[in-house]
Amino acid sequence: MAAQAQVDVGGILRPQGSLDPSTALRPYSERLGSRAAAHLLRRAGFGGTADEIRRYGSMHAGEAVSLLLDAKASPGPTPDLVNAQAPLTRRDVRDVLDELQLWWLNAMLSSPAPLSEKLTLYFHGHFTSRATPRFPRITYQQNALFRSYALGNLRELTRAVSKDPAMLIYLNGGANVAAHPNENFARELMELFTLGLGNFTEQDVRESARAWTGWHVDRRSASAQFNPALHDGGSKRFLGRTGNFNGDDVVNIIFAQPQCARFFATSLLNWFVYNNPEPQLVETVAAMLRAHDFELRPVVAAILQSDVFYSARAYRALVKSPVEFVVGTYKVLGLSKLDAGALPALAQMGQRLFFPPSVAGWPGGQNWLTSGTMIARQNFLTRVLGAQGLSASVWLHGLPLTPQDVSKRLAQTILQGDAAPAALFELQGYLGGAGSAALGTLSVENYDQRLRGAAYLAMATPAYQLN
Amino acid sequence: MQRRNFLLATASGLAVLANPDHVFARALAQTPLPGLPGGTDRCLVLVNLHGGNDGLNCVVPHGNDRYYQVRPGLAIDRHDVLAIDAHVGLNPGMRSFKALYDKGMVAIVQSVGYPNPDHSHFRSTEIWQTAAPDRYEHTGWLGRYLDDAGLPPANLFKGVAVSKVLPEAMVSNRTDVPAIPGLREYAMIADGNATARRAFAQQARDRRLPFESPYLAHVMEIEADAQRSSEELPRLVSGYVTKASYPATGLGRSLALAAQIVGSHLGTKAIYVEHGSFDTHVSQKTTQNRLLAEFSDAIGAFYQDLAAHGNDRRVLTVTFSEFGRRIEENGSRGTDHGEASPLFMIGGGVKGGLYGQAPDLGATNMGNVRFTTDFRGVYATVLERWLGRPSAPLLGGEFVQLPVLT
Repeated sequence: MAAQAQVDVGGILRPQGSLDPSTALRPYSERLGSRAAAHLLRRAGFGGTADEIRRYGSMHAGEAVSLLLDAKASPGPTPDLVNAQAPLTRRDVRDVLDELQLWWLNAMLSSPAPLSEKLTLYFHGHFTSRATPRFPRITYQQNALFRSYALGNLRELTRAVSKDPAMLIYLNGGANVAAHPNENFARELMELFTLGLGNFTEQDVRESARAWTGWHVDRRSASAQFNPALHDGGSKRFLGRTGNFNGDDVVNIIFAQPQCARFFATSLLNWFVYNNPEPQLVETVAAMLRAHDFELRPVVAAILQSDVFYSARAYRALVKSPVEFVVGTYKVLGLSKLDAGALPALAQMGQRLFFPPSVAGWPGGQNWLTSGTMIARQNFLTRVLGAQGLSASVWLHGLPLTPQDVSKRLAQTILQGDAAPAALFELQGYLGGAGSAALGTLSVENYDQRLRGAAYLAMATPAYQLN
Repeated sequence: MQRRNFLLATASGLAVLANPDHVFARALAQTPLPGLPGGTDRCLVLVNLHGGNDGLNCVVPHGNDRYYQVRPGLAIDRHDVLAIDAHVGLNPGMRSFKALYDKGMVAIVQSVGYPNPDHSHFRSTEIWQTAAPDRYEHTGWLGRYLDDAGLPPANLFKGVAVSKVLPEAMVSNRTDVPAIPGLREYAMIADGNATARRAFAQQARDRRLPFESPYLAHVMEIEADAQRSSEELPRLVSGYVTKASYPATGLGRSLALAAQIVGSHLGTKAIYVEHGSFDTHVSQKTTQNRLLAEFSDAIGAFYQDLAAHGNDRRVLTVTFSEFGRRIEENGSRGTDHGEASPLFMIGGGVKGGLYGQAPDLGATNMGNVRFTTDFRGVYATVLERWLGRPSAPLLGGEFVQLPVLT
């Protein structure tokens, strides 16, 4: 038996086995089938309903991915409180934060373009900013910015983010003036957003901070403004080049570094495929990013259609984030709307949207799972499965009455069959009223209740925690 | 770790789960904790006074005229200060705390901070919790300690956060630290599925799964931990009876649970509790005086409870706040984000008194108290002299320790 994968710094694990770099990015040509379709829907979105899994399962990878790429993003109407007169009062702040989070979660659940929402979530964790509670429009606008670039150009997005009011507030852009440069944004731009530690010097931080001087935010109008009088117009030496650079120049110089494409390639592979991708795989995707001038659409398309994406090493190789866990549960149960009860559950699982734990975003991997967050996950399932309105759920209707058929169908829909034989046997036994539970046989009277219990058990298996 | 070992560990966990006879509790109480000098059952309680506690109205420089000049609307009146000496005293709400100080159980470490202070709550909190002012570190200083301390792997309560969400200070690479807001909350919802869940949980550990995942072992381990610890915890602490009267505040409840955990001898080495918010930009006096009174009353009850069970020398309590506040008051009878501030170290093992340099209200850092004691020196003291571990690997360097423990 092979040794457990090494725990890399940060609890982020690479799958066992070795990569064949020569075939990794080759297009996968098979018809998907339900297991690969569910995998694609989990990674490119937030999972699928039984119908969606069936529909995508009948397609080839290319066809399925085109469908996901071509869907038009439609997050639903702007929440009212976003348009309220800012600054909000203390009482309204709580409401608007809840409303904004629910609004986005429901977009993830119901959007016709789940891939857009998935990339919006990716950018939220990558170009982190924290909520601006009293000025919710600023937070909302940043979310909309991420969505509008979901399959767009990474360089242009980086330029836009650098002038985004939420980012200017979060990383002290407003305090960065010619007389007293503030290096916060300049440093994080390179360390966490585009290059990574070791690929720039302290001098690069100081010099580029000067290039970013002069931007500040008018909070009430939620707009960024440039004041030339506060800008340092002098010459800067940055990443080996000298010139009278402004912020856009700085981004362009960064994106000309070979490391920048590697950095985003690593990050995208971590998000879509598996953690800690091999350097050869990173190089291949980095070359694609450069070849496409940092356009995301063709690169994401290639990743989602690749051999490595559908390989056994990528399958269930990520830990579901709380958002993926919660939205995916609503989705597979065929529920149409998240209610406010999902928010405290998400907080207990360790993920509050618009409140990443640090400028480095959510660390992911093993970090999602502790006893406390696991209890929160299980209790969330109990609550959802006990809730009223669930019997409208699609898969609860039309199921046959035999424990064998029901357990098979549940294991298929919820787990794509990814359960151990003993667990499937126990699930069937529970449905039939056998074993320690001593529940009595399955009948029309106890059908609904028993099915909820069985769904809970299926969701309590290890596979359900994995994406 | 080999998968084989993991399986064995899980199998023994299951045996414990199936046995209703408190084998687990007894085993824990008897397990010696390796690597510690002297007492093996010492515990650290870390209290986060979050929001930025104003140090100057907490440990009040009542002998300093400048304090009264820069805080015309906010200074604590000389007559109200609980004087320690002619220079400093405590906030008037801190009577119980002052009593502990008078017993020699409180060390006040003054002007604690770190180089290049960050004024963001968020970042500065992260700096204190990770003990990494100069880099981004995803593990916390106590998380790294728990990973490193060689504590019994079967113990699920090596560290406990009395909070809803695991604080960064206790984020680790290998140790599962439960966040336990209260005994009632740290439980699987008791519904009709409880029996089925237990039976099912055992079957679900069948490893003949049709997929592999680098995270599978971890998921299974945590699922077992969650089930076992939430079932065991209420039983493990049920024998503890207290006569102490804790205030009916969040901190009062948190410290009551901490005393119960300490007194139940679970082998817990670190407990984290929270109190706040001290972010007093507006009308500071009302808010901060109340919060400090709550702190003082809860700590008073805590040590009364600990002493009644002979545990007061087992527990070192250390406070921290992400920063102090601006020396001058602002226009709204409040104070804005500042820099260095005092912290407290409390317990029967403490040599009481004042440590570090008092804030110099003249020579400031752009209106803020300059730090003269690095907080990592406090952590080093705790790690080396209380918990018995080398601090340099955990803190990323050597820091000057304080002679604050007996």
